Amino acid sequence: MRSHTSKLGLLLVSPAIILLAIFFLTPALLTGVFSFTNMSSSTGISGGAWVITPNLLRELSDDGISPATIEALRDESYSVDEGSLAAARAAGVAAEFADEIASKLSGQRFASDSEFMSALKTLRTRPRRVRDLKLAMEPFTRSVLNIRFETEAAARLAIEQVVPDIDAGELERIVERSYTGWKWTSENYSKLFSSPETLRIVFNTVFYVAMTLAFNVLVGLFLAITTFYLPRRTGGFFSLIWLLPRITPVVLYAIMWKWFTWDDGFVAALAGQLGLPSFNYMKGSVPSAWTIVILVNGFIGASFGMILFSGALRAIPVQQLWASEVDGATRWQQVRHIILPQLRWPILFVTSYQTLSLLTSYQEIWLTTNGGPGNTTAVWALEAFRTALFNYSGSLQYGLGAAMALVLVAVGMVLSIIYLRLFRFDELVSKPKIEF
Amino acid sequence: MTILKKTTVLAVAGALLSGAASAAIAEDYTISVWAGGSGDESDYRVKAIEIAADLYEREAAIRGEEVNITVETQLFSGWDDFKQAVTLAAESGTAPNIIVSGHEDIGPWVQAGILRPVEDYVDFDAWPLNQLYENLIQVSSYDGKIWGIPQDAESRVFFFWREHLEAVGYSKEEIDALPKKVLDGEYTLYSMLDDVKKMQDAGLVEEAKGFMPRISNGPDYWQFYQSFGGEMVDEESGKLVFDKQALTDMYQFFVDAVDKGVVPATYLGGDWDTWHGAVSSGKAGAWHGGTWHYAQWTQKNGLDDFFGKIVYTLIPAGNERGRANAITHPLVYLLSNTGTDDDAALAAELVSIASEPRINALHAVKSSHLAIGREEINVPLYAESRWATEATENLLPHANALPNDADFGVVWTAMYKGLEASWTGVSSVADAVEAAEQSVVSALGDKVIVRDGGM
Repeated sequence: MRSHTSKLGLLLVSPAIILLAIFFLTPALLTGVFSFTNMSSSTGISGGAWVITPNLLRELSDDGISPATIEALRDESYSVDEGSLAAARAAGVAAEFADEIASKLSGQRFASDSEFMSALKTLRTRPRRVRDLKLAMEPFTRSVLNIRFETEAAARLAIEQVVPDIDAGELERIVERSYTGWKWTSENYSKLFSSPETLRIVFNTVFYVAMTLAFNVLVGLFLAITTFYLPRRTGGFFSLIWLLPRITPVVLYAIMWKWFTWDDGFVAALAGQLGLPSFNYMKGSVPSAWTIVILVNGFIGASFGMILFSGALRAIPVQQLWASEVDGATRWQQVRHIILPQLRWPILFVTSYQTLSLLTSYQEIWLTTNGGPGNTTAVWALEAFRTALFNYSGSLQYGLGAAMALVLVAVGMVLSIIYLRLFRFDELVSKPKIEF
Repeated sequence: MTILKKTTVLAVAGALLSGAASAAIAEDYTISVWAGGSGDESDYRVKAIEIAADLYEREAAIRGEEVNITVETQLFSGWDDFKQAVTLAAESGTAPNIIVSGHEDIGPWVQAGILRPVEDYVDFDAWPLNQLYENLIQVSSYDGKIWGIPQDAESRVFFFWREHLEAVGYSKEEIDALPKKVLDGEYTLYSMLDDVKKMQDAGLVEEAKGFMPRISNGPDYWQFYQSFGGEMVDEESGKLVFDKQALTDMYQFFVDAVDKGVVPATYLGGDWDTWHGAVSSGKAGAWHGGTWHYAQWTQKNGLDDFFGKIVYTLIPAGNERGRANAITHPLVYLLSNTGTDDDAALAAELVSIASEPRINALHAVKSSHLAIGREEINVPLYAESRWATEATENLLPHANALPNDADFGVVWTAMYKGLEASWTGVSSVADAVEAAEQSVVSALGDKVIVRDGGM
């Protein structure tokens, strides 16, 4: 009987486990993997190739690779001889064209691409399309310059063909340095720990989470309790209004805040009327920008708290409130001694849930102040997003961004454990002491 | 020589086979083209490809071939979202055939294998590519190959509101002579701060609105680095340069501007519409922008008599180490590695046709960009545009470009973060430079030369 139950249990939770694996564990695992690489928009994600470029040759020359090797690798010449003509024919160059090349250019050597091209353009049977002409030129050169070799072996072979007597050590160094893809590294973490910028962003994040959380919980509680004491219909109406920030699409919500706080917006106009400084409150000063960021996020979170707290309030046996009124309790005494003690679990839940979601939320900040003015309202999650996926110069550092994201995952997990312990979650889910 | 050697044999065979087959068989192609940083006024970046496709189809028909080309276009107004879209699409093999982006993307994208070298597909010795400006071809090249075809050129400019200059004591002749004084280094960025302060004190412009620099990151800020003697690349070694002295002086300049009260500490990150509205209506004393902003101000913001109201110069020198300068930030047509070699060949031919003077002039004049080739000045539409011809003559000869280097983005991001931190007063100038240096050196090691210029 017991084994059946556990199998059924396993079956019932399996969809959750699968979803958890797909949407949480895999991304977290991949983030972990990415964070130990130097992946960026220049290394690509899917893997690199082996390319010898003029810049690389200059660096290799500085690093002591022999001038003869460098010279051979730099050679871009084209030769028309029996070997290259045969290769051209084998590659599918039209027989007529190959014949004309053989008859008019045999034995000649061209120092560059453009020299050979000019010579070919004098031939009558050349292909019309430039691309076909360029393709026909390829078999006549052995140059390895700027060719993207998809495998290390191919690169090695090509280098050995161009420099047959290359020193084994040199070959290794050239092959290693010519790789364009990402490499494993732990530098992302050392960079994060050593950067002075990190401390500032951490401070911003702690400030943002603490202030917004306080707003969420306190305003949520205030709303729940005040609407609780209102007549049901009126209370419901006010609750509905407070839900608007949550149900409005985030882009629209952000635009409304922009209008509200813009140079000539409502806040600026009102401030002007009241004789206060009239400016763009969202971006014009650091304190006002922080206030807006906290309010923008705070209103969304407050409605979340309000719903949960309202539900919990309705679960309080109303007789307790009646009894307290008979005893002459004031509203504040009711709140202090009856309501708040019984809202302990919802408050703890909202606090822990909101801490974790605020830690990782950046979209409202991105769409409003975008971390500005300057970079003063940037938080960790926004920085991670911009580092990895979104910045003006297009220099996307996937590895570093992943390391930043993984730090958030780690902080989130540690905080979850602390919250669970602090709020004695095991008591909440423990079996009732009286068996029904 | 090609970057895709594996496909060579197949492609040659395919080309020969298709040549042998009946010419009557219709060939259908779909060519996609995405352009970054483009709005309604710069839609010819993609429309030019549509025009080119139409011409190509007609020419093919005359040769007796039936070619049907569907051009799919997409404009991205921003750069952040565009670059994210292109890089991620390329990772999944769905990048557009033609990418219109800044030339500085060539470095990282070549290393990542996103691009095909356009020189393998078109002939730069034949018309219309042989009349393109040589320096723009250089800007489109990286590591020994030409990767892109210049799409446009521009210059970044310093502007002054004439009326305000007059009100603080400049005669008309002195105002007309200002560009020359800037060029000679006699009028510096600090002279400008003094002048806009006078304008504020005289009540001509509001407090903290005397100087309105660019509100967000952009190549513009590298101009100020150059104004204080900074170099982005070491000419001899080709390595990137991080000049601490120039960066310190540049950061200090903006801090000084804040201290003087001509720009707010919280300026960066403002709104573009507000900025355009202010600078085009005399609400600022001096500002800097791009040649293309002319289109915005005259067409959308109602600025009439541009030349009567505004005097433009190079970005003034900051001190004796630096020079008056401008940066040009040409966009380029790039070929992605998406699709077959045949698709790329067709895409390259379309780009080549789109670079013909008459077609390119549509974009240049509509969006107030500058010509990409010598013959464009012969196109009446372009020749009639006073701004285009003046800017080409007066600014472009003094303009340089950002380096094409796979790692330049790292230096750029660090430079701007330091600027934000010092400008807003979050860090001291010295700490901001220190943090930028640390970030650059830890990422690039000896790929970057750190110059401390006697610091």
